[in-house]
Amino acid sequence: MSQASAEAIADTSFLVDWARYRRRDLLFQVFDVVYVPESVLRELKYPLAVDWVAESMASDKMALFTETAELEGEARRIMAMGRGRPLKRIDFPEALCLAAGLRFGYVVLTENGGAYFAPRVLGLNVAVWRAFELLLEAWRRGLVEDLAAELRRYEEETLHLFRRRDWELVCRLTRC
Amino acid sequence: MEAFEEARRLRRERADWQFIESLPPKLKAALKYYIETGDIYVASRIAGMSVDEFNELRIKARVPSVS
Repeated sequence: MSQASAEAIADTSFLVDWARYRRRDLLFQVFDVVYVPESVLRELKYPLAVDWVAESMASDKMALFTETAELEGEARRIMAMGRGRPLKRIDFPEALCLAAGLRFGYVVLTENGGAYFAPRVLGLNVAVWRAFELLLEAWRRGLVEDLAAELRRYEEETLHLFRRRDWELVCRLTRC
Repeated sequence: MEAFEEARRLRRERADWQFIESLPPKLKAALKYYIETGDIYVASRIAGMSVDEFNELRIKARVPSVS
């Protein structure tokens, strides 16, 4: 896991799950600001996520990220790089977050498998975190007391499961 | 690829297939696509929904997201 930047950019796959988590404001104890692209904002329809994002923007914990033609071009280049590689397809919204992460040094928050493995498979110099890495970082900073219990709570509240390798890492770190 | 296979297996095993089969064709196809690929963005487009709306449908169908 790369060193955390104080700024992150979140895609829809991350936000729709994270917004359901009772301790979702942990996000702002790890990052000073989380950018939300306009294209991501358009995908949010329900009060649970919309209200949280709107309140977070009003208190400057989140900020609107407006896509530029240059970044959109970079995103399409990243999508093309992924084709024909042993990598799940990266859709445009995730590719845009990767492009912004590359350009501005933001940590990219996503649950998209293609985007998560892109740094390794495509050699991109960008940190990509899922909820797992975010909760791990929160635990390392002492914001979460019992990492395994918190991950289980996240799974229950969001119907988002972590993989076996993630749980093995948790066991190694916490000596469970 | 091992990670993707594990994720697909979990989605298939945990899904409420009875609920999925009871849905209109477009929603059923979208959920089946999601179970096979885990790609919520394209699945939401197949369903004719936003990602947020599709995520609610995913939860009703007891399909876990796995990453």
